[in-house]
Formats: sequence, structure tokens, C-alpha cells
Amino acid sequence: MVFDLFRAGDAAGLEAAEAKLVQMLADDRHSFDVATSALLTGADTSIVGPDLRETDARVNRAERELRQALVVHASVHGTSRVAAILVYMSVVKDVERIGDYAKNIFDVAAQGIDLSDAPDSEILTGYGQRISSMISSASTIFADDDREGARRFIREADILLDEFDQHVSELVVTERQGKEAVPRALLYRYYKRIVAHLMNLLSAVVMPLDRLDYFDEERVRP
Amino acid sequence: MTQPAAGPPTPTGAQAFAWIPRAVIVIALLYLFLVGVSSLEAGIKALGADFQEGLLERVDHPVAGLFAGILATVLVQSSSVSTSTIVGLVGAGTLTVDAAVPMIMGANIGTTVTSTLASLGHVRRGDEFRRAFAAATVHDIFNVIAVLIFLPIQLGTGFLSDTAEKLADFLAGSGVEGGKADSPVKTFVKEPVSWAEDVFSSVTDSDRVLGGLLMVFGLALIFLALTFITKSMRLLIADRVERAMNSLISRGAGVPGLAVGLVMTVAVQSSSITTSILVPMVGAGVLTLRNAFPVTLGANLGTTVTALLASLAVDLRAGLVVALTHSLFNLFGILVIYPIPAVRQIPVQLAERLARTASRNYLLVGAYVVGSFLVVPMVGLVLFG
Repeated sequence: MVFDLFRAGDAAGLEAAEAKLVQMLADDRHSFDVATSALLTGADTSIVGPDLRETDARVNRAERELRQALVVHASVHGTSRVAAILVYMSVVKDVERIGDYAKNIFDVAAQGIDLSDAPDSEILTGYGQRISSMISSASTIFADDDREGARRFIREADILLDEFDQHVSELVVTERQGKEAVPRALLYRYYKRIVAHLMNLLSAVVMPLDRLDYFDEERVRP
Repeated sequence: MTQPAAGPPTPTGAQAFAWIPRAVIVIALLYLFLVGVSSLEAGIKALGADFQEGLLERVDHPVAGLFAGILATVLVQSSSVSTSTIVGLVGAGTLTVDAAVPMIMGANIGTTVTSTLASLGHVRRGDEFRRAFAAATVHDIFNVIAVLIFLPIQLGTGFLSDTAEKLADFLAGSGVEGGKADSPVKTFVKEPVSWAEDVFSSVTDSDRVLGGLLMVFGLALIFLALTFITKSMRLLIADRVERAMNSLISRGAGVPGLAVGLVMTVAVQSSSITTSILVPMVGAGVLTLRNAFPVTLGANLGTTVTALLASLAVDLRAGLVVALTHSLFNLFGILVIYPIPAVRQIPVQLAERLARTASRNYLLVGAYVVGSFLVVPMVGLVLFG
């Protein structure tokens, strides 16, 4: 502890917060992959469940640690970095919620639902793979502060949100049985929330602080 | 799957040495600080024996001295400034060590006003304020307890000052001699003071005016130098402080926390900076009061380094003795109160109780701050001065 005062070079403050966020996203992606494997490829929930719970606990712990670190950063550095601190305080919640929704997906599988042999499993799995890749992309874009990448991501994600809304709307009025419609509606809903939280994360790259989570058309259009 | 981000890039050659200009500035500021102390001493001497005797009369009573120390420190918001000034007064022969010791103890109490005021920023959120106020007042309560223990002992036996004398003798034997007129430090800082004296002498024939100008010049240099040292050092070590604080939160404090408070305060030359960092952290709940307490004690001890530095620039050895007394007072306070868990809890629990009461009645907060740091010292000065 005392030697921390004499040691240079380790990440501190906002650098450490960013590294922690990136690690949280890596864990989120893992949780998501595990959850979708349980629901869409028939992975045994009793086997993959502990892994997911452990990852979720890690994400929650990381969120608390990151918040603590931000309080310390604010206390030491004063108000000069308040904007960045508030950004991280906001986006860490979005990142943590991605893990929660991954858990929600797993919970559907844990209810005994297996969509691996479903006629639309290819579509559902395709979306899953795409979102898994998007989690990784969002992490890189955020870490690199890639403004153009963020704009592109948000535009493409916005289209995806509309697709998920369309699927849910169709399921609301479908004549299919509840056991078929409800898991799919839930899955599309969770997909949508995950993508929305990724968009919120990247809004921090292109939007001013007071407009986090809001998407100014002018700022995101090509 | 995304790989965790790589660690921070290794500093380039230029970045690795970026701290040097700031360090040079700090060294220059330290020099100015010593020049300020020396100028203050010269100004006091120029004011003549009458002024010196008059000042001594006013603070000769130990309680008056104690309250003078509190009030002076509250007004300048820095125990480093007030204790350096006291060292300057002692170094010039204006104050005796015995008269200065209660003032030094008062400075210890007065400096806690800064973190107490910092805690008021949390007043809109009840629990947060309660925690923050406790973090601020535990410092005050510790210092009051230490004064209640050691002031009577000092007055009755001279224990602190006698021990400081012996320590000063030991240091003299080891070649560390503060307070000698021909010491290297004194020689080094004398020149600018001579220049100032020449400049001020050219505008006045009066020794009193000359003395006053040198005193104001000295006090201004002390104040400005310490202010900018604090600012510069804070920037220089902010990241390291942050890492240390994060470690403290995750591993708990204890004696290492004490060392953190000590080193940090020596570096930034301000206990108020250290304690003001702790207050929001405790207020937010990320650091417990029990973990913040040893850091506060370390800050108490660390701030005595400024007086020790000041003693290098004064004529009389008594300046070093009073600076060492300051350090010993804080050290013995820690040794008496901290090691035994049951005793250690006393200031913590008192602070928590005070904070609970204060959070239910904000008028009490105002009464505490104004009463403890202004009214009581002023009344005390009037009654005992």
C-alpha cells in the first residue's frame, strides 16, 4: 500500500476504469455465449450454469470496484475530471445490464426451453452470433475512442433494434402457442436490450455528457 | 472472445522524465519557503524588544497560547503556515519554547477546520453527511484528546520539550544542525532576505516599519510557497495517491494506512489535502471511518515536517526544538491512542456519535464549527491573554 506511493507506471484512475470496463465486456460476451449456447444449441444448463453465475458475480463485483475507483478518483483529482467520471458511472451500468440480460436468456433455457431444433434456430443463432461479435466490437470502439466506429455501430444497431421490434410485434399477434411464442418474444426482447445497452455505451463516445443514451441524428449520421 | 485490454503503455523517454520540471519547481518553492521563514525572523528582530515582549505577554499563559494557535491556524487555513510562523517566532527569540508548545498544539486542532468545512458539502444527503462529518471530526477529536493528555504533562514536567531538546542534541551530534546562524541552509537563504532588507530600508527609516514589511514579505512568501508546493506536489503524485487509496480500500488500513497518510502529507506539505481526500471517500461509503482514521493520524505526523524544514532557516536552536516538539507531540499521541484497540475506538466512536447528532440537527453543525474554531478560541484569548 505504502509502496503504491513510490511506484510509477501502473494504470490508475480513468485508465484503470477503462480497462475494467473492457474486462467486464469480455465477461459479458462470455456470459452471452454461454446463455445462447444453452438456449440455442442445447448445452446442458446444469453444466454451463455455474460458469455463467461465476461470470455474472465477477461482472457485478467489477461494477462495484469501478464505482469505488471512480469515487477515489474524484476525491483525489477534484472536479477537473467530473465529466469523464460521470460518463463511466453511467456506462458501467449499461455494461452490467448486458450481463443481466445474458442471465435472463439462460433463465429461459433453465426453464426447459431448447430451441436448437426449432425451424427458426438458424435465424435466432445468427442474431446471437452477430450480437456476440457486436459486444466485442463495442469494447474495441470504446477503448479506442473511435468516433467514426461508434457512429457506424449505432446506425447499424438502430436498424437491428427495429428488426427485433418487428419480431416481437409479430409474436404478440401470432397464433402460435404460448410455449413457442413466449420464449422467442423474450429472446428478441433480451437481444434488443443488449444491443440498446451497447448503443448507450458507445453514445458516450459521440454524445456530450448531458445527452448520454440519446442519439442525436446529426451526430451519428454518415 | 474479447481479450482484456493490455496494460498501460510503458512511458517513453520523454514521459519518464516529465516529472523533472515540476520537481525543480517544488525545490525552488521550498527554497522560497525558507526565505520566507528567514524574512519573518528578520522582521521580528527588526521590530525590537518591545514588540517581542508584548507578544510574549499575550500568549504567555498556556491556554491563551493554545487558543492563539487554534485561531491563527483557522484564519490561515494551514497548520504548515502557522507552525512555520511559530518556529520563526521562536527562532527569532520572540517566543520561548515553553510558550510556543501550546500554540503548536492549538495549530494541530485549528487545521481540522478545513476538512470539517469540506464535509459540509455533503449536507444535502443525510447518511453521506453523517459519514463525511465523522471522518472530518475524528481528526479534531483525536487532536483534542491528545492536547488534554499531553498539555498538562508538558506544563507539569516539560516532557515533550525536554525530549525534543535531547533529540536536538542528538541530531547536532550527528551533524544535523538546524537553527545555527552559520548553517549552510541559513547562509543560502540569507542573501534574498538581505536584498529585501535593502529594498525596504530604502523606503523607510523606521525599524518598526522595516520589521513589519519584512514580516509581511516573509508571511506572504511562506503562504504562497506552501500553496504552490501543495498544488504542484498534488499533481505530481495524484496517480500514486489514487493507487494507494484503492489499495487501502481493498486491503484495509492499519499501520500501512498510517504510513500512507504520513508519506502523502510530507509530499504535498499539507495535512488538509490528505484529510480532505478522505472525507468524500468516507462520505460516499467506499472507505470506512476505521480505515480512514490511521491515514488521518499519519497526516497529523506528516505535517510536522514543514516546521522541521522551517527550523533550518532560523537563527536559534530553539526553532528546531519546537519543531521537534511538534513532531513528538503527534507521535506520542499516536503511540498512546492508536495501538490499543479499545483506546483507538474512543475518537472514532465519539466522532460517530457527534456526526449522528449533527445529521439530525444541522444547527448543531454550525454551532460546532463556529463555536469550536472561532468563538471559544476568541473568548479564551480574551480571558487568558
